[in-house]
Amino acid sequence: MGELDSSRLREPEYMAQRVAMCETEIQKGIIGQRDIIRQTMLAMLTGGNVLLEGMPGLGKTRLVSTIGKVFDLSFKRIQFTPDLMPSDVTGTNIIIKNEQGSVFSFERGPIFANLILADEINRATPKTQSALLEAMQEHTVTVGNDSHALEEPFFVLATQNPIENEGTYPLPEAQLDRFMFKILVRFPSKEELRGIVGLTEGNQTPVIEKQMDGRGLLAARELVSQIPIADAVMDYLLGIVMETHASNPHIREGASPRAAQALIRASRAKAFLEGRLNVSFQDVAEMSYPVLRHRIIPSFDAISEGITEDDIIGKILEANGKV
Amino acid sequence: MDKKEFLRVLQACRHKMIIASFLGNLVSALSVGAAVGIFFWTAAFVIPLYYAGIYAGLSLFLAFMTAVIISFIRRTSMEQAALWMDSFGFEERIVTAHENLMKEGALITLQREDAMRQLKAHGDRIKVTLLPPGKKIFILVGLAVVLTGLAIAPSKTKEYAKELHNLREEIREKEDEVEEVVEALELLAQEELTPEQQAEIQDMIESLQNSLSEYHQASSEEMAAAASERLNYKYEQINSQLSAMAQSMQNGASVSGAAAESMEAMAKKLRDMSGQELAMGNGAGTGDDQSGQKGGNGENGTGGKGDGNGQGDGNGQGDGNGQGDGNGQGDGNGKGRGTGSSSTPHDYVSIPNAIADSGNLTGSAVNHDASEYFYAQNGLSWEGTHMSHEAVIGSYEQNAYEGIAAGKYPSGMEDIIKEYFSSF
Repeated sequence: MGELDSSRLREPEYMAQRVAMCETEIQKGIIGQRDIIRQTMLAMLTGGNVLLEGMPGLGKTRLVSTIGKVFDLSFKRIQFTPDLMPSDVTGTNIIIKNEQGSVFSFERGPIFANLILADEINRATPKTQSALLEAMQEHTVTVGNDSHALEEPFFVLATQNPIENEGTYPLPEAQLDRFMFKILVRFPSKEELRGIVGLTEGNQTPVIEKQMDGRGLLAARELVSQIPIADAVMDYLLGIVMETHASNPHIREGASPRAAQALIRASRAKAFLEGRLNVSFQDVAEMSYPVLRHRIIPSFDAISEGITEDDIIGKILEANGKV
Repeated sequence: MDKKEFLRVLQACRHKMIIASFLGNLVSALSVGAAVGIFFWTAAFVIPLYYAGIYAGLSLFLAFMTAVIISFIRRTSMEQAALWMDSFGFEERIVTAHENLMKEGALITLQREDAMRQLKAHGDRIKVTLLPPGKKIFILVGLAVVLTGLAIAPSKTKEYAKELHNLREEIREKEDEVEEVVEALELLAQEELTPEQQAEIQDMIESLQNSLSEYHQASSEEMAAAASERLNYKYEQINSQLSAMAQSMQNGASVSGAAAESMEAMAKKLRDMSGQELAMGNGAGTGDDQSGQKGGNGENGTGGKGDGNGQGDGNGQGDGNGQGDGNGQGDGNGKGRGTGSSSTPHDYVSIPNAIADSGNLTGSAVNHDASEYFYAQNGLSWEGTHMSHEAVIGSYEQNAYEGIAAGKYPSGMEDIIKEYFSSF
């Protein structure tokens, strides 16, 4: 299809096609993990951030770098460690000596990029985590008395390892809430693994082409935010969120209002990505898992019975019917 | 497809859904109604329930009305119809388009066009089944068959219920009739009458009110028949008394003619109600005050006015209806009713045949003849029933022993009583 036609950025059909092409292009570089790619794309279309939870080596870094190439966005990776300081993320003021004397100058940290991969975010101290989370929420970085706006589009993809929790600082619920999606990265199947091995260990390296740019992504976000939602669908969506607050022996704390906002945006994005200009019950149901799973705090009963957040969400959806 | 066409398709689907919903509700409601009807008809096999049919019919009618009301209240809205249509794979396109039908905007217009395009292309997917599920219909038909079967199946309880109902109807009619007469008498009592006449009418009212009580207490055909018989007799009595009263009023001209006319009219009404042509003297009656001949003097039952002004102090009446100042007596001898009385109101007395040989009753107890009531000085006799000696003694014995058990008798008497009954 070639270069993005900037004159057609307001055409939903065209933009949906371009986004779909982006997805296809990303799949060239990532074998399997279609759901992960899809959900990451959805988060990008809504301006949300993603928390990936999975074992190391499942292609998380590769995913972000591929997205950067396809969307022609700047990409930075920050490896979070216990001794990482906030200034290592945001940047700091340094003294620069020149002919006029010494002056403070702000040296930008790695957060000044469109795509950030915050690897193993739970290994850094809460202070450093909060520096990143502030940037995620406000899209600005404040150092000293100066605030520095981050370049749009800004997108953070954080990862955490579900095991090896010793010496880590689990993200508090309030901070988890700032991630639009929590995506569980499963181990690939044998066939997918064969493809991954073939891709990485073979001689042929796939050529990833740019399909979109930051401007196009922002235009697509604008379109997504205008997609209408029928009252019945909205009721269904809000009913699901409210249900997490109902008396449920498996839930200690339910989802926040931010969950409802995220669910609306994610459902719209899903509809857009599928070429529809309206939200369906199915969209809401499918998006409930990545949106709610990190916003529900399971009760001790649920944990002791081995009931996961996804099980709880599944039961809520089942109770609400429709799909 | 334009907006109008889109709405037309939506409306058509909605109408079908309303009909389907109504039929579904109707079948469910009628099933419940039929089940209730079955309950009533089943109950009619156990307890006398004359109105079981009406109750069953009413249940079905209420069920029908409930279905109509529920269907109206819960009638399908356009949004529900749109959602239903969406369930055929339109992924909420139709409901979204319908909600934003009057709104404008680039994306909204595109969405609407997309919905219309999809509807046009795949509209044939939408199916609205009008008839309720076969299982529901089958249940309803089954219940209807059972209901009909129970309704037409004969049973003794049903027959009994019918008889009981007829009896109640009859009693109610009689009660109405008596109440009407009582009211008329009460009106009559308001006329210009002498205190004696007032008292007499008051007695009549009380007597009729007693009959009302009898009807209230009647629980069998026999009791009702007996009450009717007594009532007819009372009618005749009242008729005679009123006629006599009217006559005396006319003769005395002490009161207004209107009151006399009212009385006469009342008497005539009672004559009609009693269903009998009363034998009445036509004047110049020569009835002996003391011996009141059977059939009296004068002509029988021609309705002729006359009321026999007999000789003597009283107003002698034909057929032994001696009236007067308590002197005229007419002891009906022989068969037929004797209505002689004193001015003192009498009570009804039931005399069993067992004492028919006393001379005041017809028939013989020995021969088990039937007896009839008649005037006897200050009382009225009624036909009784036969009871064996053993039954009477047995009844007395039972009462006596119950009395002993209840401590009614002095302790010294208990043995005497037991000894007495053991001697039989």
